[in-house]
Amino acid sequence: MKKNFLQIDVEKNYPGFQIQADLTVGEGEFFSLVGPSGCGKTTLLRLISGLERPDRGRIILAGSDLTAVSPVERRIGFVFQDYALFPHLTVTGNIEYGLRVKRLPGSQRSARVKELLALFELEELRKRSIQELSGGERQRVALARALAPEPFLLLLDEPFSALDYGLRRRLRRELRDLQERLGFTTIFVTHQQEEALSLSERLAVMNNGRIIQMGTAVEVYNNPAHPFVAKFLGDANLIPCHVETTAGKLTINPQAGHSFLHPATRGEEPGTYLLMIRPEDLVITSGEAIFEGQLITLEYLGYGYYLEVKIAKELVLKINVSKEQQGLHKGQFLKLTPKKGKIKLIPINS
Amino acid sequence: MNTNKQRPFLFFVLVSLFYLPVLSVLSRAFLRKNALTEILSFLGSDLFIKVLTFTTKQALLSALFSLFLALPGAYFFGRYHFPGKRLLRSIMVLPFMLPGILAVLSMVVFYGRNGAFNQLLSQLFPGKKLAFSGLYGFKGIVLTHVFYNFSFCLRMLGERWERLSPKLEEASITLGAGKLETWWRVTFPLLLPTIGYLFTLVFLYSFLSFTVVLVLGGYLYQTFEVLIYIEYNHKLNFDRASLLATCQLLLLAGVLSLQSWTGRIAQRQTGVASPLPTLKLKKQPQAVLFFLLYLALALIFFILPVLLVLIRSFKSRGLPTGAWTINNYRLLLGEGFRFAAGKRLVTVLLTSVTLSGTVALITLVLAYLLARKRRRLRWDTFDLWLQLPMGISFLTFSFGLMNLTGRFLPSSVLVLWAQIFLAFPLVYSILRTARREMGEELLEAAGLLGASGYELFMTVELPLMRKALGSAFAYGIALSLGDLAAVLTLGQGKLVTLSVAVYRLIGHYHFPLATALGTVFILLSVLLFSLIEGGNCYLKELP
Repeated sequence: MKKNFLQIDVEKNYPGFQIQADLTVGEGEFFSLVGPSGCGKTTLLRLISGLERPDRGRIILAGSDLTAVSPVERRIGFVFQDYALFPHLTVTGNIEYGLRVKRLPGSQRSARVKELLALFELEELRKRSIQELSGGERQRVALARALAPEPFLLLLDEPFSALDYGLRRRLRRELRDLQERLGFTTIFVTHQQEEALSLSERLAVMNNGRIIQMGTAVEVYNNPAHPFVAKFLGDANLIPCHVETTAGKLTINPQAGHSFLHPATRGEEPGTYLLMIRPEDLVITSGEAIFEGQLITLEYLGYGYYLEVKIAKELVLKINVSKEQQGLHKGQFLKLTPKKGKIKLIPINS
Repeated sequence: MNTNKQRPFLFFVLVSLFYLPVLSVLSRAFLRKNALTEILSFLGSDLFIKVLTFTTKQALLSALFSLFLALPGAYFFGRYHFPGKRLLRSIMVLPFMLPGILAVLSMVVFYGRNGAFNQLLSQLFPGKKLAFSGLYGFKGIVLTHVFYNFSFCLRMLGERWERLSPKLEEASITLGAGKLETWWRVTFPLLLPTIGYLFTLVFLYSFLSFTVVLVLGGYLYQTFEVLIYIEYNHKLNFDRASLLATCQLLLLAGVLSLQSWTGRIAQRQTGVASPLPTLKLKKQPQAVLFFLLYLALALIFFILPVLLVLIRSFKSRGLPTGAWTINNYRLLLGEGFRFAAGKRLVTVLLTSVTLSGTVALITLVLAYLLARKRRRLRWDTFDLWLQLPMGISFLTFSFGLMNLTGRFLPSSVLVLWAQIFLAFPLVYSILRTARREMGEELLEAAGLLGASGYELFMTVELPLMRKALGSAFAYGIALSLGDLAAVLTLGQGKLVTLSVAVYRLIGHYHFPLATALGTVFILLSVLLFSLIEGGNCYLKELP
């Protein structure tokens, strides 16, 4: 991780809901907060920006304590979910707003606006009113407006949620390129796992007002520390199992399936765990297998197949196989085994 | 889509019915020898200047004060959430829902020389001889217009404020603007079109004010409307009346175009909507204190007068000394009432109910037929033509109607025609919006399930439109009941409705009877208002 730039340790109480967050973001980092709707992501952003006050804790940005500083003076840019562009101002008027209220002299102001208009390819739209812009254009104006006063930190609250899939992908790439080029520290909020995984250097998974796991996208995806993280980021098969340890080896007894040996990697204690296997990490085999069951769902996806195999009364495994796999039909009996090294044990009470 | 559907026959009939009388006034003014010279010399006359100055000045002040007083209240209603907000909002709009003559009655009971306000002053400051004596005059007219329009401004501006997303203000704050600067650069500019729209609207209402100025203005203060009435009904000077009407129409055209411009901007900027206001009043003790003070003053000056009409009707003499009695209501049935009002109470009630019921029904049927025809179309110029009557002087229309058909149509038909003209724009806009919002999918679904035309209408369309139809019908009745101008101008003294009866009772200074009848009338208006409120979701499309 890059040098600590933003340190947050806050608590905020609402009737029936509590936000408790402790996280650090490095300078110039693209950090994502990901979690389901209503988990407190937006509230956490609002706490960082100062639009909400925490009940307890501190927010430290670039070495100074911002907890008591008004949002007016924090120099934190905020891009709202619906952009909140000023409908009575033009594109230029919107981008210029933060510079105008900072009382920047006219010449400097127009130079900066010109620079941003060019950067976001908005020159031709500069005199347009907000109502005349498309969703993608509005998004660019919102970003330019937030960046104009050169904030220390940029907060993005689901800025792509109103856009269609294709445009979302394109803008996502553009945003990431821009962020890399200009190097502004960014916290990005999303409830879409794909967005979080593809964009962020590091991310935090939130649920019920708490941060459950934090790390790089690869770390969190490959080593979920909590069943929620496993299920929320990507798809996962979670099979209850009992683990015993003998001389550096683990004996894993899944609830349904054959027991097998596995090297102990993280000093696991004996006990009850959830065995996590990603659908793409299961293979169909004709030899020795851990799971056996009947194929109950078979969907052709173009690039491959999605299968569901019932291995016990209430236990169904999800599998993704390549399109080269031939001769599959519903009702068929299949033997399955995980790819080597592609299983994870998640403590059941984590 | 064929042209026939876009411009149905009914549309042309309605436009003719509405605009022919106005054209007849214009032709009377223009199609004469030396018409232009006469008009020009009239425009320079002392009379014209005097009426223009008074009408404009009182309308400007009325609009200014109404908005100025409504602004703080609109902020609280628009930005804060508090228990009882809906109820309070409904109560606050009461004065605007009252027929003009009841507004006048409330003002007389509260602000009149022996009214409650002066008695309160003398009790609060004994021996100081403080008294408000300006009700019958310029101040009284402006006060009554403010009383009438304040609540309307409060409601409209509050709702507009509520629709401004609080995120806009938050965006401004994160960009480094303080609260004051945010208000000046974001909130105020976004409210400005609505403020402008309301300003021209109140200006227009006050400019075209008839009942208030007729009762409180005497012979000293006259708006164009009152003067047209006097020239036409009292002096039988038809040419002068048509001249006045023509000049007023020209002035109104200017105000109307200004109003439609501000209305358009206000609607265009509603793009960013907010679901609910975010602030909680109980967390801000200072704001609570200020709001309570504001509310108390607003209730005392704008709602109490209406309540006092009710209280006064149960008192034997003036407030507060008189003993409680129901004698005033008994007197409504007696000879005294017949003498002052011109007809017996039963006749007055029957006339009012029959007239307003007929007006509402005809208007409803016509408006719905047209709304149905045009259901697939966006709001366009043709609809605008049907809205324009709202901005045309009602006196001009009534006078034109008399001019055009007075010789061969009975007065009751003329009043009916005029009141349909009065009610149509609002009834139509409610039904037009509601019918368009209903869409076609449900009817198509029912059609595919095998429902025939009649069944479709009875089982799907009518139940879905019930609220809007009820609301539109109530508006029709309320507007007809509240009308004084048409009945006075076209009724030739034969028709006595509730409004006319209250007007005559005030004229006779017969306040026990006036307040008793007024109470009946207020209760009726409140009942109609609650019906309207029930269906008011269909009025959202109006700016």
